[in-house]
Amino acid sequence: MSTAISVGKPSWWRSEFFLVGVLLLEIAIFSRTGSNFATAINALEIVRLSAEIGLLAVWMTPVVLTGGIDLSVGSLLGLCAVCFGKLWRDAGLPWPVAAAATLVLGALGGGLNAMLITRLRLPPLIVTLGSLSLFRGLAEAITRGVDNFTGFPSGFLDWGQGYLVGGIPAQAPVWIAVAAGVIVLVHYTVFGRALRAIGHSPEGARYAGIAVNRCVAWVYVLSGTAAGLAALVYVARVGQAKADAGTGYELLAITAVVLGGTSIFGGTGSVWGTLLGVASLAVLRNGLQLSDQPGELAGILTGVLLLGALSAEVGFKKFSARRRASVTLASSNSPS
Amino acid sequence: MSRIDLPSEVERNAERGAEVPLLRLTGVTKSFGAVRALKGVSFELRAGEVHALLGENGAGKSTLIKVITGAHAPDAGSIEIAGQSVMSLDPAQAHRLGIACIYQQPALFPDLTVAENLGLRLEPSTAWRRIDFAQRRARAVELLRRVGAEISPDAEVRSLSMPEQQLVEIACALGAGARVILMDEPTASLTRREVERLFELVRDLRREGVGILYISHRLEEIFALADRVTVLRDGESVGTRPVRDARGRPTLTESELIRSMVGRELNQLYPPRAHGIGEVVVSVRNLSCAASGVCAVSLEIRSGEILGLAGLVGAGRTELARVLFGLTPADSGEIRIHGAVVMLRSPRDAMEQGIAYVPEDRRRHGVILEMPVAHNVSLAVLGRLFRGVWLKPKPEQALALDLISRLGVTCAGPQALAGSLSGGNQQKVALGRWLATQPRWLILDEPTQGVDVGAKGEIHKLIRDLAASGLAVLLISSDLPEVIGMSDRIGVMRDGRLVEVLPGGSNASTVMAAALGRSDGDGKEGV
Repeated sequence: MSTAISVGKPSWWRSEFFLVGVLLLEIAIFSRTGSNFATAINALEIVRLSAEIGLLAVWMTPVVLTGGIDLSVGSLLGLCAVCFGKLWRDAGLPWPVAAAATLVLGALGGGLNAMLITRLRLPPLIVTLGSLSLFRGLAEAITRGVDNFTGFPSGFLDWGQGYLVGGIPAQAPVWIAVAAGVIVLVHYTVFGRALRAIGHSPEGARYAGIAVNRCVAWVYVLSGTAAGLAALVYVARVGQAKADAGTGYELLAITAVVLGGTSIFGGTGSVWGTLLGVASLAVLRNGLQLSDQPGELAGILTGVLLLGALSAEVGFKKFSARRRASVTLASSNSPS
Repeated sequence: MSRIDLPSEVERNAERGAEVPLLRLTGVTKSFGAVRALKGVSFELRAGEVHALLGENGAGKSTLIKVITGAHAPDAGSIEIAGQSVMSLDPAQAHRLGIACIYQQPALFPDLTVAENLGLRLEPSTAWRRIDFAQRRARAVELLRRVGAEISPDAEVRSLSMPEQQLVEIACALGAGARVILMDEPTASLTRREVERLFELVRDLRREGVGILYISHRLEEIFALADRVTVLRDGESVGTRPVRDARGRPTLTESELIRSMVGRELNQLYPPRAHGIGEVVVSVRNLSCAASGVCAVSLEIRSGEILGLAGLVGAGRTELARVLFGLTPADSGEIRIHGAVVMLRSPRDAMEQGIAYVPEDRRRHGVILEMPVAHNVSLAVLGRLFRGVWLKPKPEQALALDLISRLGVTCAGPQALAGSLSGGNQQKVALGRWLATQPRWLILDEPTQGVDVGAKGEIHKLIRDLAASGLAVLLISSDLPEVIGMSDRIGVMRDGRLVEVLPGGSNASTVMAAALGRSDGDGKEGV
């Protein structure tokens, strides 16, 4: 009989090592092929470009940890972006007020998901698939599909286009602070532990007295708020707000989370892994661009990267399971 | 002349069957891990007889059914079907050989019609075949007529009542040419009227020479229906006896049957009661919950007291525990803890009142298998242990080490995953999680189920020590000797009600009789 230890050591470190390897490989290749790739300015540019996907992805991590998924964040980003534009331009609110209202709107959008998932017990995949259409549709209705909000005040645009000392992009502090906050929340608090318990076994968590519904609801509300924040960062960076803002971002965010080793079935995963996932995707896109490669190659390589990472993990597990089995066999054979 | 009428045909069938039984099991043994579920069971089923199978929870009835239907391969022993020895039986082969099983919950496809359900089971299942819809329907009509069911073959199964679905199952068994029909508590969810109709059908089947293995907890049904009865106890056959003699007089009594079901010596030693019993901790009055079938339960547990809860599977004991822990809140009634009325709407409420519940389903509810031991034991005290929001590995580690040594958990350490532990050790972890909450009232649901003998003894000692430290304990167990040996008083549940409270150390037959509801069984005889 195999004893205690081996049954399933946390495997996150393996995917993280894998991703560090991928990242180093990407840097090595693009340093040779890309013009101006290996410069400090470009490194900071990558931080700027990864901010929106990164914000969505780090908050997607707790969602996936509970065994859920949030497909609506890209659409909610679009809806928040056009609402921000509408509030600032048509309602005439000062931009900080409009920004605060946008964050509240994001939280409400997440709250809608949370309510349907916890009250009606609908599967998160279906609920957020529905709200994906709903939020994008609302964004298109508000702009009638054509309106484009531009001409934002420079005080606002500075947050997305400006620089701090040393050429650090202005959105970097926001992005890093949020990422750090999620790392602390998921890895160092009671709440994070509860999320893992729920992801492994919602029923088991309930029997342990964890307020499962309350925890799950918070996770979706926070994910929606992150979409609101990402919308602001996005609008500040590109200087315009259209209804199609953030299309497909939800899938990139989920890709980063899964690439980072978080189990799509819930329970195991780390925010550090997600950050590495975000970085390896962002470096890939940026590097291809600087190497004058066609844009569609980015999609192909993202797919190859994700499928490769997953296959490598499964392969590694099979390999170690087989090795374990042969060890057990050998030890059980030896006495006879 | 008497050769022609029906009873004599039954006799003739029985005689013929006596030569070559439809089904003969010899020395069938089956183990699951360390648990020996069947220990050399031998018995035979004749053509044209209703053979009752009786035994308390865990006596091996379900395992025996699964061996006969081919779901479990026996470790040893032989199975003969109609005189032919069958080397390896799988479900498909059992089906071909004419064995059918009617379960308590019919296993039909609810979205398909009756005719489609019958067609699926009875028509050859090749991927590319022509379906003769007219023939399928005609066969369904014919089979439904044979079982006397007034059901349209085009009705969707989900629109049928439970007994109607049972009839469809029986029709299906007949259509497959079943010679051996197993019925596992077929009357559990039927009304009196429906039971009578089912009995008529069973008698018809017997007349046609079908052998019926009938499993039921209702003794009066066995006297009304069965020709012979086999009693299982601890995986062994206690013996097979005819229910009536040649003149139709009963040859055994209910109390004899009950005695043979429970007639096991208390060969295990239970830790002695060595402490006094204090003031009332819990008092429950008229507690009901319609959704889970708990009905007007009143009970009282004192500090240091162990109240056992006995009853058959499905008597409502786990359901009661779930109400008491706030998992399914009560509709009416009152729970007082130390005299104060408490409202329990969620497990959190219950925890705040010092209630701890170690659930029956250890692997799904008791522990989280994918988490380490340390995280499992701290799960119910996360807020308290860490005073607020931050995880602190050191106190958590200390708590885990303390519980591991106090409860004698055998594991590689606090970081070992709960799923890697043996059943008994998992149970100790589940218990440890709740001890960490320092409860006033501990509810234990089947704490030693699937636990090996050694760990069982240790858990018994733990429970006794906990009671001695002043806890009120509610001990739910299907293991009669355990309930009797451990409890200060024994509550017996039946159909969601607490029907009797017996003193500790009561006779096993008395407890069993209360659980079976024998006292009011006399009036119902001849159902």
